[in-house]
Amino acid sequence: MKPARFDYAAPGSLAEAVTLLAQSGEDEAKILAGGQSLMPLLNMRLARPQLLVDVSGLAELDYIREQGAGLAIGAMTTKRALEQSELVKRRQPLLHAATVLIGHPQIRNRGTIGGSMAQADPAAEYPAVALAMDAELVVQGPDGERCIKAEDFFVTYLTTALEPAEILSEVRVPELPAGTGWSFREVARRHGDFAVAGAAVTLRLEAGRCADTRIVVFGVGDRALRVDEAEQLVDGEAPTSGLFERAGTKLSEVIEEPLSDLHASADYRRDLARVLTQRGLAEAASRAS
Amino acid sequence: MAVEIPTELEDLPTSKPHWIGREVKRVEDPSLVTGRTEFIDDVVLPRMLHCAILRSPFAHARISKIDTREAEALPGVLAVVTGEDALRWSYPAVTAPEGWGTHCIATDKARYVGEPVAAVAATSRYVAEDAIELITVDYEPLQAVADPFEAMKEGSPLVIEEKGSNVMLQRTFTWGDVDEAFAAADHVFSEKFRWNRVGANPTETFGAICEWDPMDLNLTVRGSIQSASNFGLGRVATFGLPSNRVNIISYAHGGSFGGKGGTRGTDVACLLSRKAGGRPVKWIEDRMEYLTAGGSQAWDRHYEASIAVRADGVVTGLRVKLVNDIGATGEGFGAINTAKPLAAFTGPYTIAVAQYDLTLTASNKLPESPCRGMGPPPHFFVLEQMMDIAARALDVDPAEFRRRNFIRADQFPYTIPSGNEYDSGSYEEVLDKALELAGYAELRRQQAEALEQGRLLGIGVASAIEPGVFDLNVYSVVGMQGTGVPEGATVSIDILGMVTVRVGFTLEGQGQYTLVSQIIADYFGVEMDSVRIAPLDTRSAPPSFGPGGSRLGVAITGAVLGACERIREKMAIVTAGLMQTEPANIELMDGRFRVKGVPGAEMTVAEVAGTMLARSDLLPPGIDPRPEATHVWTAPGRAPVDEEGRTKSYLTAAQAVHVVLVEIDRETGQVEILKYCLCDDCGTRLNPATVEGQTDGSVVQGIGAALLEEYAYDDEAQPLSTTFMEYLLPTINDVPLIEKVAVVTPSPFAPLGAKGCGEGAMHTTPAAVMCAVNDALAQLGTRATEVPAAPHRVWKLIREANEKPQGA
Amino acid sequence: MTMARQVRMTVNGAACEGLAEPRTTLADFLRGELELTGTHVGCEHGVCGVCTVLLDGRAIRSCLMLAVQADGADVTTVEGLAEPDGKLHPIQEAFVEEHGLQCGYCTPGFLMAICELLESNPSPSDEEIKDVLGGQICRCTGYQSILRSVHSAAAKLGGGRSATGA
Repeated sequence: MKPARFDYAAPGSLAEAVTLLAQSGEDEAKILAGGQSLMPLLNMRLARPQLLVDVSGLAELDYIREQGAGLAIGAMTTKRALEQSELVKRRQPLLHAATVLIGHPQIRNRGTIGGSMAQADPAAEYPAVALAMDAELVVQGPDGERCIKAEDFFVTYLTTALEPAEILSEVRVPELPAGTGWSFREVARRHGDFAVAGAAVTLRLEAGRCADTRIVVFGVGDRALRVDEAEQLVDGEAPTSGLFERAGTKLSEVIEEPLSDLHASADYRRDLARVLTQRGLAEAASRAS
Repeated sequence: MAVEIPTELEDLPTSKPHWIGREVKRVEDPSLVTGRTEFIDDVVLPRMLHCAILRSPFAHARISKIDTREAEALPGVLAVVTGEDALRWSYPAVTAPEGWGTHCIATDKARYVGEPVAAVAATSRYVAEDAIELITVDYEPLQAVADPFEAMKEGSPLVIEEKGSNVMLQRTFTWGDVDEAFAAADHVFSEKFRWNRVGANPTETFGAICEWDPMDLNLTVRGSIQSASNFGLGRVATFGLPSNRVNIISYAHGGSFGGKGGTRGTDVACLLSRKAGGRPVKWIEDRMEYLTAGGSQAWDRHYEASIAVRADGVVTGLRVKLVNDIGATGEGFGAINTAKPLAAFTGPYTIAVAQYDLTLTASNKLPESPCRGMGPPPHFFVLEQMMDIAARALDVDPAEFRRRNFIRADQFPYTIPSGNEYDSGSYEEVLDKALELAGYAELRRQQAEALEQGRLLGIGVASAIEPGVFDLNVYSVVGMQGTGVPEGATVSIDILGMVTVRVGFTLEGQGQYTLVSQIIADYFGVEMDSVRIAPLDTRSAPPSFGPGGSRLGVAITGAVLGACERIREKMAIVTAGLMQTEPANIELMDGRFRVKGVPGAEMTVAEVAGTMLARSDLLPPGIDPRPEATHVWTAPGRAPVDEEGRTKSYLTAAQAVHVVLVEIDRETGQVEILKYCLCDDCGTRLNPATVEGQTDGSVVQGIGAALLEEYAYDDEAQPLSTTFMEYLLPTINDVPLIEKVAVVTPSPFAPLGAKGCGEGAMHTTPAAVMCAVNDALAQLGTRATEVPAAPHRVWKLIREANEKPQGA
Repeated sequence: MTMARQVRMTVNGAACEGLAEPRTTLADFLRGELELTGTHVGCEHGVCGVCTVLLDGRAIRSCLMLAVQADGADVTTVEGLAEPDGKLHPIQEAFVEEHGLQCGYCTPGFLMAICELLESNPSPSDEEIKDVLGGQICRCTGYQSILRSVHSAAAKLGGGRSATGA
């Protein structure tokens, strides 16, 4: 398990990194962020870039800033930094809750938020957070900067809207409106493993009824999925266990056939999505005001 | 000169043991915690090359052509070998059952995913891996067989054509009038079970450095080798070398649990070394190689079991039918795993008659290997579920049901129907202590209370036997021959009274160097620090098997004590000469040779040793002047099996009762262990801390087997558990606090009364956890019969139970 | 450039340099080029934690990082824990006393992970310890004695001594 030969560059700036990527042919270069997903693939020779562009050391991409009511997070901010950030704990409890479910501290010490988003693993936590929080992903390319909404960023299994010469530079996470309740739950075979299935939920209560409900499930499709049909069923209704049960059932009926593997059959994943949605709604409602 | 090995602590020449039985610090540890202990991958030899192996991506495929030219031309590549070299320079592997071996590199076809097809020796592992990618192989894929029942059908693809069948062995063992017992029974219960492949997975994979000396025709293999002498014999057979031309140097290894295997890769590296003109070739198995093609997999089993039960809850008969998919060949000796249950077939119970219908089949999966417990753990999983099925049907508490069937303390030594003899035990006392520790009645109350709240709790009470100190004799039923397993030690006292013990095994984790030091220190009245252990290669060491079969702690105790006794006798003669008395008047006590009844007339062990080595003028004529002796211990009273496979095989029988509380999430099928309590009895505990460590570790391996670990294959025999993302080892988050108490019933037969305890709780834990799972599921009217009880399986059972009409 | 290049780093307080191809992992560089074989390799895909070292004070998988990425970094390995005269680091002492190891192959990785833990959290709870050690696999001990070892080490370090010895 030793990587195939590749060239390595550690550009001194984001601009330089974009230029390097632009100069490389398609599929020749790969961006190395924290490496916690890419390095195993390199060691197994499943990823075989000719050039690795290492952006993990770019200080200009390592920050957690308040931006308006939300947070702007540099793509090379480690999960560990997010986990330990008081700002994140206070302002983005859902993001914090998701972070501590990712791997272990030894992985989070290297793994970055940008790396996770760009890897777009359908069972990963961060894409689900991005969808649930309505995050925006800022990317830098040869033609400058563009901002992609989370719902447009994640395309399918391990595929994002990033163009070959583009680099994800920042994740903007808006603040949850006051009184919003949230939940982030997953079922994994062991703590720290990729989720078999998971659900991120946010909702508010307006005059005793659910509002602005967002339900995102992950691990069950080719990417994290926001499920409108279930959300619509909840909005405008009183938060009862019966309602949440119906919403979970609805969700499990409308999602496409999930993946089946040795850890879980498709039917099991579908049912987990139901259960986690139901439990997530109840938890979010209990935190909402 | 016959020596008698003390079977009781009181027999030692010490007024009170200072070291044995105490929780001493391990002598192995300072070097290990500082990273100084040398493991095989730390070894660098001059001119050493590195091996990478090209492996078949197909489970079954004919190899029509291999082109290695590009690989050979890559700078840094010194040798490339293929099946042709294996045919030219080696023989098919020795196997059990016999005759199911192939060459170390596929010669005509590949029989499992991961089978070596070619290999490269290069200046670095990186370059070697580059080179194997340049080898082109033309495969003609063949239909693969991944299921033993398919494999047995007429017309199934044959894994080894020359055998004409995929059935490696079919045999029924009948012990007593089983038909009569079942006909007379008030109740008969039957169930089918599936135990999926699991395996050892030590944190260090296997590794070896192979050096073929083309001038002297010597083969030297350094490696992380569990049983060096056996490993050496394997290479002797593979390469057709005289046995004194193969030398095995075993290094400290990062665990084994029976799963070091590695013979194929070793043989491949040997071929490469020969082709590279004798340069040493290092092969370090990487984790993916280990998981897909190493000594990693065991116990791929399909069971049907029945028990005959009397109305009063006494079990009168047991039938077990086992179909075990051994994999592509018999080279891993996985078949032995199916023979060991004979050593404890009826568990801790007085079941009078039994039958074992055993079928071993070949498939296009990885050949099976040994694994901690060596086969009984799945057997006890089955037996204990059957006990619970019966108890539940008869409405008897599972603890009480076991009590009714236990072998009583006054019945030992006790011969079980399958022929083995249990040395001693106090099973009821062990049960009582385990139940008390767990607060069993309170747990049952909690369970009832939880049920009212809609929560699903289950309590497992399981008991199993750990056969200790294996003998080869019972393995003859699957084709391994021999009676007796020697373990030797040479104890030498130097001119200044320091002691060196030469042994034939190396560090593996169980703390045997510490144990040897404890014994020597108490025997000769020296500090543990005055003892040094020297592991020797197979050419220099006394006969040795090494660790395995819960044996080495007992065996090396016997060997060391035997050598000590021999030295004592010699020293008594020398002392008697100096004291001008008869040797019979000399006794050793607390490190001094003294004249009985003459206070002050004594010499220290060091003084006697110094005299022997430096004052020949004072020695009785004709005496061997070395304060040194070798003793080779093997279990007494062993004999070959009879026509039904019966024999005294394992010398000791440890026993345990585990009590487990689990909660099952009704919706997700997740199983959480809330409480884990056990009581075990493995006789005298020579180093209690080490025993506890073995227990803790084996409980956790057992939890892994019950809930997490599984080598899955698809229908085409493609392995699905190829990384640690799929093969799930328990982490600290998956294990509960393990609460333990002990009962000590010394073995009357084993040195110092100690029983084998290395495989430990692996025998009981999977059964206990599954009993708990099934105790919970019984409340829904269903039962888990497949291991591991992964969430998706439990979820499916619950869903099916919920869909069943009420009262059905 | 796929060719080997000079890589410099501080390892266990000493300036070190060696040659590394871009593809050389930090684990292989430490073990092969710097001959620091106390860091072991267990899975090479980041799951087992056997190869854990400290990089600028943080516990990381040395199999999931390239040596060239560690150019200029401060690395601590198990060889950096005990005193040169052989006096064990308190965490090592605790492991010996509490039987926190059996085969010892995973131990260096555990020690390094625990170093970071105790540096930031001098008296961790069971849950806090498990959160960190969940990323380290031991196949021998069943973790019971390791948990005890961490508590014992925390008590030994209670005098305010830095876990990394810095």
